[in-house]
Amino acid sequence: MTGKATRALGICLAVGLAGALVPRLIGSPLLLTLLTQAVLNAILATGVGFLVRQNGLVSFGHAGFFGIGAYVVALSGKYQVMPIEASLLLGILGAAGLALLLGAAMLRLAGVAFSMLTLAVAQALYELVLRWRGLANGDDGIAVQLPRRIFGLDQSVFQQPASMFTICWIVLVLVLAGLALLIASHFGTLTMAIRENEERARFIGYRTLPPRAVVYAISAAIAALAGALFALYNGFVTPDVLYWSLSGEALVMAVIGGTRAVWGPALGALIFFLFKNAAGDLTEHWPAIIGGTLIVVTVLLPRGASGSVAMLMERVGMRAP
Amino acid sequence: MSEWALEGDGLTRRYGGFAALDDVAIALRPGEIRGLIGPNGAGKSTLMDLLSGRGAPLSGRVRLFGRDISAMPARQRRRAGLARSFQKTNIFPDLTVAKQIGLATSAAEIDNSVEVMDALGLTALRDRRAADISHGDQRRLDVALALVGRPRVLLLDEPAAGLTMAESLNLALLLRELAARWQVTVLIVEHDMEVIFSICSHLTVLQLGRILAEGTPEQVRSMPEVITAYLGSSVA
Repeated sequence: MTGKATRALGICLAVGLAGALVPRLIGSPLLLTLLTQAVLNAILATGVGFLVRQNGLVSFGHAGFFGIGAYVVALSGKYQVMPIEASLLLGILGAAGLALLLGAAMLRLAGVAFSMLTLAVAQALYELVLRWRGLANGDDGIAVQLPRRIFGLDQSVFQQPASMFTICWIVLVLVLAGLALLIASHFGTLTMAIRENEERARFIGYRTLPPRAVVYAISAAIAALAGALFALYNGFVTPDVLYWSLSGEALVMAVIGGTRAVWGPALGALIFFLFKNAAGDLTEHWPAIIGGTLIVVTVLLPRGASGSVAMLMERVGMRAP
Repeated sequence: MSEWALEGDGLTRRYGGFAALDDVAIALRPGEIRGLIGPNGAGKSTLMDLLSGRGAPLSGRVRLFGRDISAMPARQRRRAGLARSFQKTNIFPDLTVAKQIGLATSAAEIDNSVEVMDALGLTALRDRRAADISHGDQRRLDVALALVGRPRVLLLDEPAAGLTMAESLNLALLLRELAARWQVTVLIVEHDMEVIFSICSHLTVLQLGRILAEGTPEQVRSMPEVITAYLGSSVA
């Protein structure tokens, strides 16, 4: 067990450092901007994928939690109610708390009904922010007022692609490491068991609703974290961050990457952004290419890109992380 | 302490106008292995469900060693010492054998997981996914999930479903031995009469949602109404 833990820690450090070096290796500011966006979205997709992995549930509404993270940061700047660091935390906890409440009610429903309700809740938030102009200027959006220093770092650190890439990359690696630990724990086994067979889980003596709600809350908190980082980086937040198309994109990333491995959705996000960029250069009808690719991936690689990587590694005699 | 390990009174469940179970009473003595038999549709599984807390009874009470557990959900009944296995294999396909046994153990106060896995021949399969092991092994895993933590009362709903005759007899004899070793009271539904007669001290016969007969295997075997209703000429 300690050998395994040491190995996992080693992988985290190696991947973390490798990522930190990326901005030095990449000369093109355009590519770096793209990669920073990709990593931000990778955090969001990780949240969406974790829900699929541990609860077997598909969310069409994670933009709602992403948007909560972003808007809480933006609004606390506007109304000057608290330090920006506190607003970051508040957005994440708020999203988690909302997910716990929603989960207690919605998780009683079977798969598709749950997915539809997640969509409905997120769209309700979108409409609220869009129409209540007094709150956040509606579709004009709201500029995020950043203090000079955030977490002791100069505000520009969060707005330059090179440094923000490193920050987001480290956050992503930490989130993945945390989730990997959680999955290996008793809670991880219990939630997988509930996903597999909720009735039998009750018959071996477990409550099944609270653990599922906690998974939903963790997944929401990760989405909100991504949203808060987005607000710092972008410096401007519009209702688009709550729109269903973002939820859909995050889900597409998770599907492309595969959700069996905890790092699958993050890999999917990188592939999605690079692919979207390449397809966008080719034609303005890039969503059609993405859609077509998604169909091919789903049919040919049901376990996603991460599943294929794991299979290749097994074939050359390595154990997948 | 009650003289009964498990008691059910006035157990009734209706589906529409049809009474799957109609005012049934059953009581098991501590340590006994009771066979529950009857033709298809007699209400055997419904009775198991009501006793174990799968769905709420329309009426009736269930007591475990004198304690009223009627209002408890399945999870609490299990923690109070009433475990069950299922007729249709009910395991965690994507988890390894060891992981799911470990999970069931950590909900219990007693850790007998090593003994249970050994006795049921699951030790060699511990790191295999449950979906990848044979049907017979899955059936034993289903029983093992109910046996860990040494429940005081164990409800077995056709534990040998889908096994060969030799396999089911072996499993039955093994269950009898484990029940004696851990002083578990057992209620078992089984179609195989050879199995029933070789391990049960008492039988309850259900027919059309009511109790038709009760007694030792020898008594039940010779009751004319049982012979005509269920056993037919093959056992006469």
